[in-house]
Amino acid sequence: MSFAVGLVAVAVFALLAPTLQIMARARAWPLGPVTLLAIAALVSHGLGVALGIVSVPQFRYWDAASIFAFCVMAYVFAFGAVYKSVSLEILLGIVERTGRTAPLSEIMERQVPGLFQGRISILVDRGLVERANSGFVATAAGRNLAGRVGRLRRAFGIGDTSLYDFSN
Amino acid sequence: MNMLPGPAQAAAIGLSIAFPLLLLCYAHIPATGGSGRRFRLGCISIVVLYAVACIALPGQRQFDDVLGGLLLLGTAMMFCYILFSLLAWGFTLTLLTALVQAKHPLTLEQWAEAYMQGGDLGTFTHNRLKLLVGTGMVITAGGRLAPTATGVAVAHLAKLIRLSTGLG
Repeated sequence: MSFAVGLVAVAVFALLAPTLQIMARARAWPLGPVTLLAIAALVSHGLGVALGIVSVPQFRYWDAASIFAFCVMAYVFAFGAVYKSVSLEILLGIVERTGRTAPLSEIMERQVPGLFQGRISILVDRGLVERANSGFVATAAGRNLAGRVGRLRRAFGIGDTSLYDFSN
Repeated sequence: MNMLPGPAQAAAIGLSIAFPLLLLCYAHIPATGGSGRRFRLGCISIVVLYAVACIALPGQRQFDDVLGGLLLLGTAMMFCYILFSLLAWGFTLTLLTALVQAKHPLTLEQWAEAYMQGGDLGTFTHNRLKLLVGTGMVITAGGRLAPTATGVAVAHLAKLIRLSTGLG
């Protein structure tokens, strides 16, 4: 029964999370998509636990929490995969074209530079990068974040190209 | 309400905490290969250790307990993968680190060059396309790109996920 309570909480999350995303866009809330997902997860988990305490005499918290955490993380995983994936943007760009075909040169010369500029706008909007004359420079917040990322990359032995390594 | 995890669930919680530490250790062993391979190796190691724990722990195993533990492990792996992939393959984050490493203002073109460490956006495009071609989602012929049936299905699935998660 505790697993079932966890699944009820998952259903609440699956309804609440997209509702919050849509409302945030419609009402221009100053909250990022990840923050909204975290709020939805906390609220639905709290409701699930309350439901379990009230309705299941031998409610086992970790049974409910395990299935809830797994399903919510799978949701976040899928959300992250479609949210800002460059590969997926390229694929969707081709599929949405008439005749479902695109010249490679056009993707290289127009679509990818467009994605590049879109990401720069995100960095500027978040106050991590600012315009300086005809160029761009990192703000103090941007330098701090880049420093933390660099330390984590070095600790985990991750390169700094962001390219996929097909050698293995 | 029972807040105590079962023995297998407790083992899974412990292994979930140990997972990033294991990845840190693997980062210092050259034989573990690139970041993607290292992450897969970490996942396999954790699952094997969980199986060993399930066999070695005293007392009889309960199905609920083992299932809950597996779900917790799966959650930890997905969570770590999201963070790990952001560090390893994050486009926006790498743009920021490239700008900071340059230590002076960069124009859009210089930034693209710094990001690709001497290459250009064409190299980046080819890298992302290699993923799409390698997974059988896109085929190239005569300088044009076209999605395969798998690619079209993935694109439709991505649109469905975007719609159902409130991303539009």
